[in-house]
Amino acid sequence: MEATEKYHFDVVRWFTIMAVVYLVVGTLVGVLIAAQLAWPVLNFDIAELTFGRLRPLHTNAVIFAFGGCALMATAFYTVQRTCGVPLWSNKLAWFTFFLWNFIIVSAVITLPLGLTQGKEYAELEWPLDLLIAVAWLCYSFNFVMTIAKRKTSHIYVSNWFFLGMMVMITYLHVVNSLAIPVSLFKSYSVFSGVQDAMIQWWWGHNAVGYYLTAGFLGIMYYFVPKQANRPVFSYRLSVIHFWALMFGYVWLGAHHLQYTALPDWTGSLGAAISLAMIIPSWGGAVNGMMTLSGAWDKLRTDYVLRFLVMSLAFYAMSTFEGPVMSSKTVNALSHYTDWTIGHVHSGALGWVVMVAAGAIYHMVMKLWNTEMYSAKLVNLHFWLATIGAVIYIVAMWVSGIMQGLMWRDYDAFGTLSYTFAESVAAMHPYYVMRAVGGAIYWLGGAIMLFNIVMTIRMASATRGVGAPARA
Amino acid sequence: MSSLAEYFHTDWAALTLNDWIGLVTTVVVFILMIVAYIYVFHPANREYLEAKKNIPLDESRFESEEKR
Repeated sequence: MEATEKYHFDVVRWFTIMAVVYLVVGTLVGVLIAAQLAWPVLNFDIAELTFGRLRPLHTNAVIFAFGGCALMATAFYTVQRTCGVPLWSNKLAWFTFFLWNFIIVSAVITLPLGLTQGKEYAELEWPLDLLIAVAWLCYSFNFVMTIAKRKTSHIYVSNWFFLGMMVMITYLHVVNSLAIPVSLFKSYSVFSGVQDAMIQWWWGHNAVGYYLTAGFLGIMYYFVPKQANRPVFSYRLSVIHFWALMFGYVWLGAHHLQYTALPDWTGSLGAAISLAMIIPSWGGAVNGMMTLSGAWDKLRTDYVLRFLVMSLAFYAMSTFEGPVMSSKTVNALSHYTDWTIGHVHSGALGWVVMVAAGAIYHMVMKLWNTEMYSAKLVNLHFWLATIGAVIYIVAMWVSGIMQGLMWRDYDAFGTLSYTFAESVAAMHPYYVMRAVGGAIYWLGGAIMLFNIVMTIRMASATRGVGAPARA
Repeated sequence: MSSLAEYFHTDWAALTLNDWIGLVTTVVVFILMIVAYIYVFHPANREYLEAKKNIPLDESRFESEEKR
């Protein structure tokens, strides 16, 4: 039986295409706001284009538009292939696709207009929060029901990671978004003061932990073995990786609030568990990398595999850096500085986008039953992404550490050595460097989009428009 | 009282219902984690678990394998 008859892949194709489109758009907004920090004139004195309005647009576009579409494409693709059955409901999958994209378009309109709850990574106002919950539950329910009717007795580990993400993000999104509406586009959080801060970072860090880590680990555990054509190094390690990650991540949020009004012990607890999380995180990274044990030569010729392996290197690096930054001693220097921005982007650019790009290239070739239009462009994208990410991260490391040192330096009389404005002026070269790194990274994404569009056109021309692809 | 005992001193009577729910949940999950470690790393389960690693690479099994 042809796979197109067996599985529902059309909706996967569209999620895949939209993920790449949103990657290009989201990172372009990122490059613009990075440039605005270096050259404030680029705000143009237009409220809708100022950094404060566009920054949440950038984060929502890359996390929920790109990340969401990538997660939905890969989850729907892998659950069908590992369970041997089509999606429980193709119609529900298409409903999820249209609703998710409607939410994204609504975000593009409301955020530049300044309609925001002011909660980081959860800025959208209450009507859109409700729609997010509906779309997410439809996605999750379809995934769970597909697993329920599977042909195999065992649920492969990638599906466990996707399931963990779905359960936790439902719980986190609903609790964090609890608010009292006062008009169609204005609401107030039910939490206040220090509890609001705690709930905010309980959500904020777990969005990283479950959405950007667990979900993308689901991608890693399917696509690394598949692309390398070798089974994962240790299945037992993957099981421990899953449970340790699910148990541990939920404790970490308080490390975002060191030296604040939050009780001191909560920050200590958050830091202690953060340091403990190095063990499962590195276990997972080693598990992914060792999958290539005995076949490292594949990296010379398989450019898609390069993305996947490089993503694991960044995953290992950022899951070491994060716990170190959470410890109180380091946090005293790093908090509120650009070092945090560098850390977030080493995870986002290096881990999340790289592993998703590897998976998307793999899926495009399978879904349209063709080779990529240009393997050289895949390689070019890889190097632009790697170099762009490294430039970005290094700029923010230097800038952040310099900021921290300048802010706390004082003279023999106990007077601060530098004014805040002097520290801002000192950041300028690094903000330029960051914008350049981001632009290089964006160029890689644009090349990916071009390559994928040409691949689909080439495949359609070969088969004749409308003819089904074998996946 | 040693400083260590002082550090770990807990006023149990002051714990609220929320504190108790959190405490019990945490201890139960911690014990479940230990159970998971023992299960996964027990030599008797090695072959069974490691056999699952081939699932993504062997899609032909769907033709013959029956759901439990």
